[in-house]
Amino acid sequence: MSGLARSPSPLRAAHGRAATAWGLALVFGILAVALARHAATSLTAPRPLEELSYYPSGEHLRAAVLGFDEVAGDLAWLRAVQYYGEHRYSDNRFLRMEKVFDILTTLAPNLLAAYEFGSFALAQEGHDFPAAERLMLKGLAANPRSGRLAFQAGFLYFVRPGGRDYRHAAEYFSQAARQADAPPEAARFAAFAGQQSGDLEMAYELWQQVARTTPNRYLKEMAERELGALRDAMAAGRPDLVVKHLPTPVVIVR
Amino acid sequence: MKALWIAHNTYREATRDRVLPGMVGAGVAILLVAQLATPLALGEGVRLTVDFGLSAISIVGLLTVLLIGTNMVGKELERRTIYNLLSRPISRSAYLVGKWIGLAAALWSVAAILGGALWLSLVLRGVQGHGAAVMQATYFAALELSVVTAVAVMFSSLSTPVLSALYTLGVYVVGQWSYDLRGLSEKVAPPLSTLMRWAADLAPNLPLFNMRTLAAQAQTADLAHTAIATAYALVYSGCMLCLAAAAFESKDFK
Repeated sequence: MSGLARSPSPLRAAHGRAATAWGLALVFGILAVALARHAATSLTAPRPLEELSYYPSGEHLRAAVLGFDEVAGDLAWLRAVQYYGEHRYSDNRFLRMEKVFDILTTLAPNLLAAYEFGSFALAQEGHDFPAAERLMLKGLAANPRSGRLAFQAGFLYFVRPGGRDYRHAAEYFSQAARQADAPPEAARFAAFAGQQSGDLEMAYELWQQVARTTPNRYLKEMAERELGALRDAMAAGRPDLVVKHLPTPVVIVR
Repeated sequence: MKALWIAHNTYREATRDRVLPGMVGAGVAILLVAQLATPLALGEGVRLTVDFGLSAISIVGLLTVLLIGTNMVGKELERRTIYNLLSRPISRSAYLVGKWIGLAAALWSVAAILGGALWLSLVLRGVQGHGAAVMQATYFAALELSVVTAVAVMFSSLSTPVLSALYTLGVYVVGQWSYDLRGLSEKVAPPLSTLMRWAADLAPNLPLFNMRTLAAQAQTADLAHTAIATAYALVYSGCMLCLAAAAFESKDFK
């Protein structure tokens, strides 16, 4: 009996060893978490997006992802948003943003959000309207039947920093209005932009379309008011009568 | 000592397995593909070679861990050789530690061979100044593989080989996203932020070992980064092995 009391049973010894292992695992785990947190705060974080932006183009990258273009595009999208966020809250410089969005939209040409977000971020915060325009036109070329994207293209021209581009805005708003997935206000925006650009006939047609199709009573009244003003301006041969003077816009991307 | 004896046998077994030479061959093939793709890289051939070469170490190493590491304990159970081993005065934890050291040593050998091949391909191209960066990045890749091996040993002591492989792959993927999770946790509201932070803490922080971006620019990480990464690899592996030992001690082989 005394011998048994001195040496623990194999089962109890195994339990003891398991308890020791659990205890050690806990200690190592706490140390690992502390180290990971220290590393995350004190060491430079890896920047895979910067790495991505060094590649010559999305076409080469597409070959490298072995058919998983969309997955790679989704991951690139996450990185692109992070890149934007990081630079927005730090140096506010977006030097590689065009390249990043070009790669992203090559990998995922149907990712409409990338064109919308990228274009407005490039134009409004990157102060690079030509790059924004290139990205948006790339999106329209890849998605020619997207009313949503055409509407955004119209809006991009409508709020162009340094001066609104009503002619292009009207063109893309009316392109959007012809597509099934366009926002309901596309025709109204097209009419307004057309009117502002001096194309009164197009504006008249589009306001007519708004007045005919909108279920909104107030919008119908607004369209009829504009139609009356347009008739007067066309009769007088004075487009300036219906052109409203708006301030230069600024879009805040959130 | 007993753990080292088991490690020696595991290393011998792993290097005799046909999987390992196959993996080295695959890694060399990836390097050759990088050479062939160089003309497409428009002047970024060295970067492509370094990126592909270092990625090959990680991919090949991960596949080796999934094919050999997750099968280690299961195979011994199937062949019933584990009964012979554990009937000797060898503790179960020593057995697991030995298995980890043996396979990690085999992976370090693979990393050294592929790192050497990468360095040689750069030298043959007449590229100078990348030696230290490639050597350090190879060291970091081997550290990462040691951590993943510890995770595989942990799962292999708990579950079947197929499930262990799936779990290990899952942990690897989450580990690669740990920095993103940590970053995202600061942008969302609780309790999601708390959950994300915990996930980032508990998953192996594998981006800590990613030196590909620096190596491609012939740069090396500083001493603090190297020390933290080494300590983290040891501590995290220790935690995984203790968890494995705790589970393995409670396992009934009857």
